[in-house]
Amino acid sequence: MATTLPIALVLGSAGTTAVAEPMYGRSMSTYGLPGGIDTPTAETLPDGTLGATVSWSDYARRSNIVFQALPGLTTVLRYSRIDGINDYRDNGYITDRSLDLRYQVLDEQGWRPALAVGLQDFLGTGVYSGEYIVATKTVTPSVRVSAGLGWGVLAGKPRTIDIDDEGGTPNVDDWFRGGARPFASVSWQVNDRLSLVAEYSNTDYVARYSNGQVFQQGDEPGSSLNLGAYYSFGRAYQVGVYSIGGNSFGAQFSIALNPREAPYPSGLEKAPAPVRPRPSPGADPDGWSGVWAQDPTAQPAIQAALGDAMADEGQILESMALSSSRAEVRLRNTRYINQAEAVGRTARLMTRALPPSVETFVITSTAEGLPTSSVTLRRSDVERLENTEAGQIAAASVLSDAPAGAPGLVRSEGVYPRFRWSIKPTLNLGIFSAEDGLTHEVGAEARASYEIAPGLVLTGALRQRVFGNIERRGPGIPGQRGEYYTAEEYEADPSLETTPEGVPRVRSDTRMYSGNDSPVIPELTLAYYAKPTPAVYTRVTAGLLERAYGGVSAEVLWKPAGSPLALGAEVNRVRKRDFDQLFDFRDYEVTMGHVSAYYEFANGFTAQVDVGKYLAGDKGATVSLTREFANGWRLGAYATKTDLSSEEFGEGSFDKGVTLSIPLGWATGQPSRERVNANLRSLSRDGGAQLNVRDRLYDQVRESHSVKLYEGWGRFWR
Amino acid sequence: MNGALKITLAASLVAGLAACGNDDERSGPLGVLAQTASQVVAQRRAADQPVVAPKSPQEAAAEALRVNPGPLIQAGFESLDRTQVMALTGQNGALRTYMTPAEEALILRGGMLVGTRGLGHDLSVAEPQTETLIRAGATGTGVRIMRYFAGDGVERPLQFSCTVGAGPRPGVTVESCQGHGTSFQNSYMVAGGQIAVSRQWIGPNLGYVTIQTLRP
Repeated sequence: MATTLPIALVLGSAGTTAVAEPMYGRSMSTYGLPGGIDTPTAETLPDGTLGATVSWSDYARRSNIVFQALPGLTTVLRYSRIDGINDYRDNGYITDRSLDLRYQVLDEQGWRPALAVGLQDFLGTGVYSGEYIVATKTVTPSVRVSAGLGWGVLAGKPRTIDIDDEGGTPNVDDWFRGGARPFASVSWQVNDRLSLVAEYSNTDYVARYSNGQVFQQGDEPGSSLNLGAYYSFGRAYQVGVYSIGGNSFGAQFSIALNPREAPYPSGLEKAPAPVRPRPSPGADPDGWSGVWAQDPTAQPAIQAALGDAMADEGQILESMALSSSRAEVRLRNTRYINQAEAVGRTARLMTRALPPSVETFVITSTAEGLPTSSVTLRRSDVERLENTEAGQIAAASVLSDAPAGAPGLVRSEGVYPRFRWSIKPTLNLGIFSAEDGLTHEVGAEARASYEIAPGLVLTGALRQRVFGNIERRGPGIPGQRGEYYTAEEYEADPSLETTPEGVPRVRSDTRMYSGNDSPVIPELTLAYYAKPTPAVYTRVTAGLLERAYGGVSAEVLWKPAGSPLALGAEVNRVRKRDFDQLFDFRDYEVTMGHVSAYYEFANGFTAQVDVGKYLAGDKGATVSLTREFANGWRLGAYATKTDLSSEEFGEGSFDKGVTLSIPLGWATGQPSRERVNANLRSLSRDGGAQLNVRDRLYDQVRESHSVKLYEGWGRFWR
Repeated sequence: MNGALKITLAASLVAGLAACGNDDERSGPLGVLAQTASQVVAQRRAADQPVVAPKSPQEAAAEALRVNPGPLIQAGFESLDRTQVMALTGQNGALRTYMTPAEEALILRGGMLVGTRGLGHDLSVAEPQTETLIRAGATGTGVRIMRYFAGDGVERPLQFSCTVGAGPRPGVTVESCQGHGTSFQNSYMVAGGQIAVSRQWIGPNLGYVTIQTLRP
């Protein structure tokens, strides 16, 4: 690879294809993107950056989450409290969610400025709706100038908001229409920490509604000139103050995390046991001849020793087949986020434990007791290639599907049955609720699982709330926005469990399951995993599947180890659980399910399409796209559209959301498979609702399949 | 003193809450964070505690030589500000793996640094084409490839061009390397083709390590 990029770019924040440092933003706008103060620029963030900006002013409090989804594509999810607008709640402010996209069409090169096109608040009822084209040019190393054309809010011509619109769908007809006006900004990077920004903006902070109401948010800006100063500190933080039109002032705080900038990129796990090369045939003639294999005590002794050594590495040796020339081990990885590290460490331990005549190593990964793939290595390659570039051992290895059983496989003693239990604190946070602001619930959960045999698992959990402000209540009263049924009213009248439009309330009464002061059973299931053919996996789960539904869930997945494509199907027969979350059920029962196609693209993108019937009996499809890094970071977005109309679905029109998963080891450096997960979905609605059954097959199986395994293969020799 | 105690108590309380059970795999994010916090506290305490008589590197080396009959090196990690005795734990051909008691490793080939493990910003593998020049005490140029994990979890190579020649002090061979906007200088004292004493660059974060052979 012929790169001469600075180290920080190769190991830190830049991709491998960059040819010059791209134009990264120096300060964030009040809308949470690289920009001026209120106006956008054509700058980007380093690819993969996940950031947040909170901006306070007389106009609004905006909480923005930004993700640089591709080197040129910046996305922002915004939750705003907009002051000065009154709606039915009569609070003097409204809360509003909005979504922005910006694409940098051209990066700066030579005399040519960078050029970007953006859509601001482009889904539905947008107070901030506007579009722009903007160019940014570096004038001196510390000064950048941007100029552009804006439509909608950016032109000071806000669009009339349709009060009857449920939102959530793009109003393509309005885009780049209604007259454009220019905007401009200049930023001066005074030193490493401080930057100053001045801009010319036409935003007038007026909102017009289709019922004739017009609101001025905050004070009308005194002029079109805005000024700001931004100070960066630490690796990731920035604070800023700004003035809008000279008469309003604001402050903001930003944080930016880049998955490519780990505190301990190589991890802090202990060094692996090194390879032990074999003695010469002259020094160990018995070992080389293979006669030891005739001794019935040989395998149990070797298996016990290898199992102990693997246990120190967080690997469970589930079973082993041993002959004079070949050994297969089946391992369950409980420690490393990259399966390749588990395989590599096991290969080295095998060189230390097995007699010299064993030349073929087959290392089979398992998930839920099922073998998922086999890596076959020659022992002489492991000896020869230790401490070389990981690609060499990859080229010398073979990845194949693993059959359920293999001749001579002996289960390790004491692995099954396996009983595990834990008691841990739980914390639920609700951040983006329009009505409630920040909500929380703190409690404790006891969880136990009993693996009776490989693939047969009994799982149960018991949860007790300790304190919190997520109280039990019924769903919103139709036609009376902002009002809710009380829990008692809702429980007393079963007819309320169907909306006036005739949609069964499958998720919109989710708060009925919250705020229980007595212990609840979030789940109690018996799951059976099997593998009828080397590339087909099945799961049947029965019991209390999730907090709101119980029943039976059956799934089948076709996923060859070397294929980026997988196909699956799932059928569930479930019944709605009673709100006390114990063993009672309510009247609603449904058979639902879907067929799924999964595809793993190059460069870490995974797509999934599900088509089928959802909890409320509505039929439709879910499309999800996830970006995944070799270090385990995952960011995804999904959208579900079903045959429910926008009116039947309610606010938001269709279900959509964002998922985020960060491996804890990324932050701490300690090896762990633990993750922090967040799921931001627009609203809890009844349309397009999925059953939350645990341990669906796909994510379990593909850990050790070609795309994920080779993506993390660099850790083989770790 | 009081402050340290408070931190310990708080950390162990969380750990007690979080890590209750036999399920390491799912101890929960709080559990892992609590473990990390406890480790940090433990480290701080270890650092705070006045050691009865702080051992000098010379004393540590002498003690290690007395206790351990095998091959030993002493490694001084400049950026970590610590010097440790490391014992041979494995040999594969010319490659030798030396480890600290905490299982951090240096991998050496006849004294040439080939890799590190367990240090957080490890050198995965070094491929120095200058190695024969250095061992021969000759003058010349060559390419040195050093592979590291980038933050995104992918192993990436850095390529440096290096010049080898005699250093200012007699018996010392110096390898000067440049590339990717940085430069570093490795120094080697070679005896009989083996590098007995050296100061070598691990990488951009860890900087230099000084390696001294206590017992070959």
